[in-house]
Amino acid sequence: MFQPQIAVESLTKIYRVPQRPPGLAAAIASLFRRTTQDVPAVRDVSFTIASGEIVGLIGPNGAGKTTTLKLLSGLLHPTSGSARVADCTPWERRPEFLRRISMVLGNKSQMIWDIPPLDTFRVLGEIYAVPPAEYRATLDELVALLEMEELLTKPVRNFSLGERMKCELVAGLLHRPAVLFLDEPTLGLDVSMQTRLRRFVAEYNRRSGATVILTSHYMADVVALCPRVIVIHHGRLIYDGGLSRLAARLAPFKLLRVTLGEAEAEAEAEVEIEGAEVIERENGRLTLRVRRGNAPAVTAQVLQRLPVADLTVEDPPLEAVIDQIYQGDLTGFHNLSGLEAAR
Amino acid sequence: MTPLGTLNHRGGWALVKSTWTSWLQYRSFFFLLAFGWMLPPLIYLFVWSAAAGAGQVGGLNRGQFVGYYLILILVNQITYAQTNWTVGDVIRSGGLNSWLLRPMPPLYNVLSSELAGKVVYLAFVVPVAAALAVLLRPEVHPAPGGVPLAILATVLAWALRFFWGLWIALLAFWATRADALLAVQDALVFLLAGVVAPVPLLPAALRAVAAYLPFRYMVGFPVEIVTGQLHPAEIATGFALQVAWLAAALILARRVWRAGLRRYSAIGG
Amino acid sequence: MAASAQGDLAYRANFAISLLHSLLNLGAGVAGVLALPWSQVSAINGWDRRGLLALLGVYLVVSALRGLGLGPSLDALAGMDGEVWSGRLDFTLLRPVNTQFLASFRQWRLFTLTDLALGLGVIGAALAQPGEALTAGRLLAFVVALAAGMAILYAALLACAALTFWSPGFMFTWLFDGIFQMARYPVGIYPGWLRLALTWIVPVGLMTTVPAQALTGDLAPGLLIASTGLAFGLVLAASVFFRVALRQYASASS
Repeated sequence: MFQPQIAVESLTKIYRVPQRPPGLAAAIASLFRRTTQDVPAVRDVSFTIASGEIVGLIGPNGAGKTTTLKLLSGLLHPTSGSARVADCTPWERRPEFLRRISMVLGNKSQMIWDIPPLDTFRVLGEIYAVPPAEYRATLDELVALLEMEELLTKPVRNFSLGERMKCELVAGLLHRPAVLFLDEPTLGLDVSMQTRLRRFVAEYNRRSGATVILTSHYMADVVALCPRVIVIHHGRLIYDGGLSRLAARLAPFKLLRVTLGEAEAEAEAEVEIEGAEVIERENGRLTLRVRRGNAPAVTAQVLQRLPVADLTVEDPPLEAVIDQIYQGDLTGFHNLSGLEAAR
Repeated sequence: MTPLGTLNHRGGWALVKSTWTSWLQYRSFFFLLAFGWMLPPLIYLFVWSAAAGAGQVGGLNRGQFVGYYLILILVNQITYAQTNWTVGDVIRSGGLNSWLLRPMPPLYNVLSSELAGKVVYLAFVVPVAAALAVLLRPEVHPAPGGVPLAILATVLAWALRFFWGLWIALLAFWATRADALLAVQDALVFLLAGVVAPVPLLPAALRAVAAYLPFRYMVGFPVEIVTGQLHPAEIATGFALQVAWLAAALILARRVWRAGLRRYSAIGG
Repeated sequence: MAASAQGDLAYRANFAISLLHSLLNLGAGVAGVLALPWSQVSAINGWDRRGLLALLGVYLVVSALRGLGLGPSLDALAGMDGEVWSGRLDFTLLRPVNTQFLASFRQWRLFTLTDLALGLGVIGAALAQPGEALTAGRLLAFVVALAAGMAILYAALLACAALTFWSPGFMFTWLFDGIFQMARYPVGIYPGWLRLALTWIVPVGLMTTVPAQALTGDLAPGLLIASTGLAFGLVLAASVFFRVALRQYASASS
């Protein structure tokens, strides 16, 4: 019987937020009577994740991603609904559960600041009761993968952000968790470090079979690592499936990149093609956005009316699509709600 | 999970050692803190010495006052509560999540800071108190058996002050700032725990209050034992009250922790 | 004021407790300085009840004035929250209580005004005690001595702030605060070597003892003149020191 690593059923979390209206009178009144407001953060979310998957959790700020992560890691308990992670209910916070999970945060460090990372690792090894042989083996493997041998004996306070992030990853993985939560792991890192970390996560997942849930505002992270994404918006799960299919759903158009012949560069000034929207024009190169269905017709028109030197038809970049989600523009989702929650 | 849930001694002990190593690097900072805490008792050492002059006040001569206050400085440092910072600030800054994710009772994190801190502070206070003793010539006349009793009372005093400070620091789950409450507490300790004057020398009304409140049992009580200011009957009732307050502090700490954690995991950290 | 009062109310529990703390602290200060040694002795090193009450009043007034005017801005500059400190390491776990108590400067001011009133009240109570009456000359001497004392306090705090630029992380103000506590009592109380140190090296003695002596009529004119002269000199020296430190910090951090 297939047993998912993570099973979430109708998970709901409603925060009760105290109201603090402005004005002196209201402030005095609030001394005596507390008024609260219900803010739903996560609404009726359900999904299952199999062992070894890498899933991206994406959505605009305030959509409920962090709350979902906190619920799955046991830091919060839900208003209603259930969840099983690694065979345990997270918010019971049993030690065996805590030993099976790990959370790495992009903006908070669990390294002890003034001593070399090796010392913090040793402490964590003790806290998680990792047998010495296994500790050595895991540490060596992680350090080799991350290429950080020379960092082990220097105090953490002198490290760059990227080096600190490497330490965080080692710290989070020393006890070989079955489930790894990564919350904005590449935050603030330069591009090359981001790439290296992504490669590390992919490789680690491949080698260890750990389940990874990733949230990130860098779409490159999601695109590179997550074959599957779960989109949360206003607390609701509105999409759960492959990334490319999401893009197709959300942005049902294609991009036509047209390079004009040199002699006719002025012709671009007056181009207007039905069914196409010019979104870029520069140095004799045009970019047109076209609905999928219209692509052949528009292509024909362009070839007919313009002095084309080169033409390509592309899918829109995923970043743009996901950016759309983050802007909160989910017009493409109206026909998805309620029906497309499953893969 | 209760604070004393599944025990993880290995982890706790490893954490103590690494915290201590880390904090030792900032000795001068800690030593300065310890110096600041040492000054109020020191001031009263001088005041009472001058008051006693060549004679006696309240049954103690100059040398005995010096002895009382030097030992008070030591006991005060051993029992001083840092929990507002090691717990309260952690809760306020969101660092509690880190503790909650580990398979170790969160109390161990607090205890590791406590032990590490005490080691570093005492590394300053003990030599300084010893030097002051050479300079100021104290006189200490403990009753027979007074010293081991005083040591026991000191251990209990540490536990009392620690758990009392813990439940107050845990109010951070509700109030964004509990500093004023701590300042009130400090003022009460200042007045009633034997700093301004040894409790037996307080005016009758204050003495009665001080005998029943917990503050005296956090600092002054062990010092009174070792300086021979108490009859055996007084020592016995003193211990009884100390243990009673310790029990109360333990219960309070446990209740507040549970309630606080329930709230924390309901409204999010 | 309305905005700061509202700011207080928003921290409901903290406000109530702050009030309690203010009252309790004042009560403890009064009781601590006043009532206790007196239950057993009638004079310490030549200082009687009247004199010590006056000194307590002066101490409270000086502390309150410091809190109202000088304290917050200098503390902010030199204190743990100052930019000089931040970034070096996260000591949020380890701050001394007094810095943290500064929830807001305006809230602080509200309560220090109360302290000032109480200090003046205590002085009044001291003068009401049997003893020589207050003359205009003594009052004038008191004002001059107090001004000199405040000036020396200012110089000391300025020097602490300057030193923080050179050695951020070393809490000079905290150190000074501890020593300042010694000014609760007349310098005559302390043994000779300490008395000298507190008068001429870290002149906290001049901040409270001299003005109190002016009130009770025990002030030697020479001491008043010396105190005033020292005040001028120290303020000058501290200002120069501060400017030098500021220049060095500004050039170093660019």
